[in-house]
Amino acid sequence: MISFEPTEDQVLMRDSVASFAKTTLLPRVRETEKLRAVPDDVRQLAHEMGLGLVAVPEACGGQGLGLTTSVLLEEELGAADAAAPFGFPGPHAFAHAVLELGSEEQASAELTDFSAADAHARFGAVAWSEAKPHPTRAGFTTVARTTASGFEITGKKSFVINAGLADRFVVFAQVDEAAGWHGIGAFLVRRDAAGLTIGARHDTLGLDAAWFGEIDLAAVQVPAAARLTAPRDGEGGTDVDRFVRATARFFARQALVVAARAVGLSRYAWELAREHCETRVAFGKPIGHFQAVAFTLSDRLMDVDSARWLVWRAAQAWDSLGGDGAPAAGSSARKKAEAHALKASAQAAAHALEAAMRCGDDCVGLHGGSGFIRDLVAEKLMRDAKQLALVCPTAEQLDQLATAVELGVPLDPALVLPTPDAQAIFT
Amino acid sequence: MIDFVLSKKQQELKEGIHNLGKYVIRPMSLQMDRQHEVPEPFLRNFMKLASGFKSRDLAESFGEGPAVTPQKGDKPGESNRTAAVGAEELAWADAAMLLCMPGPGLGGPPVRATGTTEQKQRFFGVFKDMENGPLQWGAYGLTEPNAGSDVAGIRSRCRKDGKHWVLNGRKCYITNGARAAWTVIFASVDLDQGRAGHRAFVVEKGTPGFFVGKIEEKLGLRANETAELVLEDCRVPEENLLGGEEAYQTKEGFMTAMKTFDNTRPLVAAMACGIGRAAYEYARDFVKDNYVLSRPIPRYSALAERLARVSRRLEAARMLVYRATYMADMGMPNAKEASMSKAAAGQAAISACIEAIEICGAHGSIATEHALLEKWFRDIKVYDIFEGTGNIQRVVISKRILEGLKAF
Repeated sequence: MISFEPTEDQVLMRDSVASFAKTTLLPRVRETEKLRAVPDDVRQLAHEMGLGLVAVPEACGGQGLGLTTSVLLEEELGAADAAAPFGFPGPHAFAHAVLELGSEEQASAELTDFSAADAHARFGAVAWSEAKPHPTRAGFTTVARTTASGFEITGKKSFVINAGLADRFVVFAQVDEAAGWHGIGAFLVRRDAAGLTIGARHDTLGLDAAWFGEIDLAAVQVPAAARLTAPRDGEGGTDVDRFVRATARFFARQALVVAARAVGLSRYAWELAREHCETRVAFGKPIGHFQAVAFTLSDRLMDVDSARWLVWRAAQAWDSLGGDGAPAAGSSARKKAEAHALKASAQAAAHALEAAMRCGDDCVGLHGGSGFIRDLVAEKLMRDAKQLALVCPTAEQLDQLATAVELGVPLDPALVLPTPDAQAIFT
Repeated sequence: MIDFVLSKKQQELKEGIHNLGKYVIRPMSLQMDRQHEVPEPFLRNFMKLASGFKSRDLAESFGEGPAVTPQKGDKPGESNRTAAVGAEELAWADAAMLLCMPGPGLGGPPVRATGTTEQKQRFFGVFKDMENGPLQWGAYGLTEPNAGSDVAGIRSRCRKDGKHWVLNGRKCYITNGARAAWTVIFASVDLDQGRAGHRAFVVEKGTPGFFVGKIEEKLGLRANETAELVLEDCRVPEENLLGGEEAYQTKEGFMTAMKTFDNTRPLVAAMACGIGRAAYEYARDFVKDNYVLSRPIPRYSALAERLARVSRRLEAARMLVYRATYMADMGMPNAKEASMSKAAAGQAAISACIEAIEICGAHGSIATEHALLEKWFRDIKVYDIFEGTGNIQRVVISKRILEGLKAF
């Protein structure tokens, strides 16, 4: 039955996270931004609250609360500071990548120690993008060559979120140079692996608290067991098909988390703008009493609300794939449900990220000159909104994915994955 | 629990209407559009088929709105959500036909909300025996040549004369106005009083001084009748004053009851989603059949993106419809959400119809039995106009988000 009512537990958790966001994150937004990191005491608090592990299964040390609960909480965080959650301790995109691409054993081994009491400075990261396309072929420039005991990875990855903080990575690299984007693979690599060095930190437009940077891999040796081959995908097909599908699921789930933060940012920007339009007087009345202004606020409210409901719908679609009553692996019902979840996530994230940009833009615009000045937070919201749209597949890439699923054509990695030769993203 | 899966009943209703639409209604769609009417035998057949659905939900899908407003302590039903699901599917089949369905139409909600028991029995009684007797319609007459969105500006007058009210004025753009057995007509006792001076009457067909004027030629929804109604010293019995004299004693009484209209806006929005979806699905299938299978995939990535944008915009609007109807079912005030759903759905669906034509190229604009795109393109525009234009929806929203804003 169509219902917009969170469970009692979800309401309690949401209220508690909202209170943390308002009392702890909000007053320190500029401090966090200037520090270019989440302060240690806030990190500690976030870790104690388990904020980095909400949707990670209990078997892997997580809270096992599912994506629906996760997006409810992420919206509250985003409504205070969309940048801070990227700097909270936790596996982040690494968890989604390992859960979709790895075996149960790999997921459990890699994720369990994020819940340890002393893990308040532990981060995971995904190294996907590269700064330049390969000059002569499709696919990653970073290559993973087969060795007697496993693989040797060489290359440079860019736009990696938490690159300088993570102690473990999922690194994507080319395993079959002749196969283009169909020839990619994923590998677990530890920070302390010989040959791995952290490169420069990027200066970015927004989300300053997040550590965006590069990693260099110079003949890094990993065992064969470090390769992630999507063994849990039960849909059949070739190894490549299975890997592409699992990678698309990884990006779709990660995009949904970012989209939830974007909904929070949109809501915050909308509330700030509304408040300003009620109190700022021009030509003898509050500027909100002019139609052009009021109608803009009305349109942005439609953006905020519709984005939230689309995000909820997609999260619920993923959650319905797990637990009791979920369709069996390999069944046609399962295929249909997964396709629905993929498409719903792509739609939700594309809409939410574009909506956030409109809300940030109009928040600055409706404030007029004061919106441009850093005394107010409006300018930060606008910068963060654009940056958010680049920390998961872009709306264009998500749209390709949604249509491919809708048309029922095989997923072409060059089109439906955020391949960096066309439009690089941060992961 | 947060959930977006249709209930079993809703799923059955949706599938039932979908099949009727696909195999019975759509094959007739162009002919009805060209002949500017839905043939009566077809309407009768459709009503028989539709009676296979046991619940009232289908009737609600025809725009009558829910019969009962939930009270405190009642277990909330889901009739508004179900009605939205049904309305979308019927409009997917043919929007004009939906508006032609016999029944009280838009005249239903005001009679149900404000009519006395005697009035409800009398005016709804007209529709009781349509299976054997003639088909009957109700209508709603508010708009005038010089007053559309600004309802307070209506110029039709009424004055009491003995046991009758005497009405003078012109009403326009009245859905099913010429064929209606009765029409709810709004007129003013005193133009200076604005909305406080308004009175609503149920004016029956054949009442002396009540005439049908022009039948409009329209851009779309051509199978549906849109009429002008003329009142010239029209004498309406006092028992046809909707709600009786006492309903107008307080300022709030009548207008508060009229707020049940908030329940019809999401249904109109749902219909818009249905037309938009029809156009989107046509374009999607056209792309699949004509482009994808014969050309390398990258050649169509721009089309893929356009399709995706249309689809997600419609989905966003549908979520606003679900939200507004969910709130109505829960008995929560939803004027703002109802207007949001309609403002978003009207625009999303218009854009869907335009994009669909462009995606199909020249094929998109040709009217044939299987390509209804040009018809949907014409039909959809009015969904951002009737039941309050897009701008009026934004006025409603604005007043509810900005404290102290009474009027612009």
